Amino acid sequence: MIYLNNAATSYPKPGVVKEAYLNALEALPSGQFRSAGVSDNSDIFGLCRKRLGEILGVSESDRIYFASGSTEGLNAVISGLGIRSEQVITTVTEHNSVLRPLYNLPQIKGEPVLLPCDKDGVVSPELFEREAKKGKARALILNHCSNVTGAIQDAAAFGEIAKRYGLLFILDVSQSAGCMEVDADGWNVSALAFTGHKSLMGVQGTGGYYVRGDIPFKPLKYGGTGYDSSRIVYEDEDYEYEVGTQNAAGIVALSAALEWIKEQGINDIVEKEHELTDYFINGLLSVKGVRIFGQELKARGPVVSFNLESFSPSDLAYILQNSYGIVTRAGLHCTPLIHDHIGSGEKGTLRVSFSYFSSKDDAAAVITALKELVG
Amino acid sequence: MKIIDRRKSLEACTEAGWDAFDLLTDEPLSDEDIESLRQVEGSFLYLKQLKKPFFKIENHNYIIKGVKGDPFFRFAVHRDHVGEIEKLVKALS
Repeated sequence: MIYLNNAATSYPKPGVVKEAYLNALEALPSGQFRSAGVSDNSDIFGLCRKRLGEILGVSESDRIYFASGSTEGLNAVISGLGIRSEQVITTVTEHNSVLRPLYNLPQIKGEPVLLPCDKDGVVSPELFEREAKKGKARALILNHCSNVTGAIQDAAAFGEIAKRYGLLFILDVSQSAGCMEVDADGWNVSALAFTGHKSLMGVQGTGGYYVRGDIPFKPLKYGGTGYDSSRIVYEDEDYEYEVGTQNAAGIVALSAALEWIKEQGINDIVEKEHELTDYFINGLLSVKGVRIFGQELKARGPVVSFNLESFSPSDLAYILQNSYGIVTRAGLHCTPLIHDHIGSGEKGTLRVSFSYFSSKDDAAAVITALKELVG
Repeated sequence: MKIIDRRKSLEACTEAGWDAFDLLTDEPLSDEDIESLRQVEGSFLYLKQLKKPFFKIENHNYIIKGVKGDPFFRFAVHRDHVGEIEKLVKALS
């Protein structure tokens, strides 16, 4: 089986991640502030936070909190900042992990301002500035890298505008963390959400969020933390954000993955995936009846969406998987609003997404299958 | 060919308002099995030139698709017409 659905979950994982995960399961359980059973004094949570800080460009790594992934992270951030959806500027490139909280979370729900994108999935910072100037908004939520077209937004430009107009800047780095530079501090990011199981090479069920230290922020969830258990009410708003037992084994695996990424070097990862993506797009262009979404992109993540004349995306995915053993993904990709703007309609696209471990042979296998299909 | 079980597909088309089921058969689908599906109302497509031949039947309410040699095929149906699956299973049994 050839796996090219890395934008959903990366596979395979580096050997050190598997090893760390297994070792964590075999070791005595660790828990923050919970004394029983810790086999040594190493702070696995703090170490992972520090490594995340390095890769996300966050200097206040103690303000990075673990969650089950970006979705929980985004819900925590969106609900905790004291903003209402009407006060939010966001984009049509957002994933449902942003859109659904904005439209449904009881305490904030409403209609955000939606910035359009061009046919490649790129959102214009100038359009954002035009909305910011109106003075009604309090926050921008931006998907750094589109999970549909791979378009990378100019986060630095958006951050600069947000700062100028006094808006919070919330960045979703689900698709970008681990496969391109992220510089939260340098881009004036107020809060961000990340997931561990995509390009960060961790396991499913890991991820989290960061909120800058000077921003008041209420937790999404309350519960046991193992710290100062006699306190029930947070009188001074000195909240705790990680409640319940944490996914220690997953965090150990994520920490190992972050170290692996550091060893490979983010630039080398970018270069390898970029070369593979270019190779694949060039191959796609030789297939009769293909339409690539985001073909003209100058800044792109390791994601390529396309359609083939006469075949629905879901048929293509079915054929590739069941006739050729190639796993891709079809449909709207949980990003329903972008399709009207890029021209992929109600059936969406077929998406091929690469990881550091994908090869030119994998990409060539897709091209060969598509050529056989169109005759 | 007999349908022996059905499972909600993990690759549901639910994002676009559709549900999908995999209908499990008692043996791998043969050419004859696939040709026999022509009795089902709708357009019939059979791509025999592929590494593993693919077929598809599509009508207003649902889509059937599968690959020769697999012991299952996919039934995707709009949520308003989920009852069609019972009619199909009955027709094929």
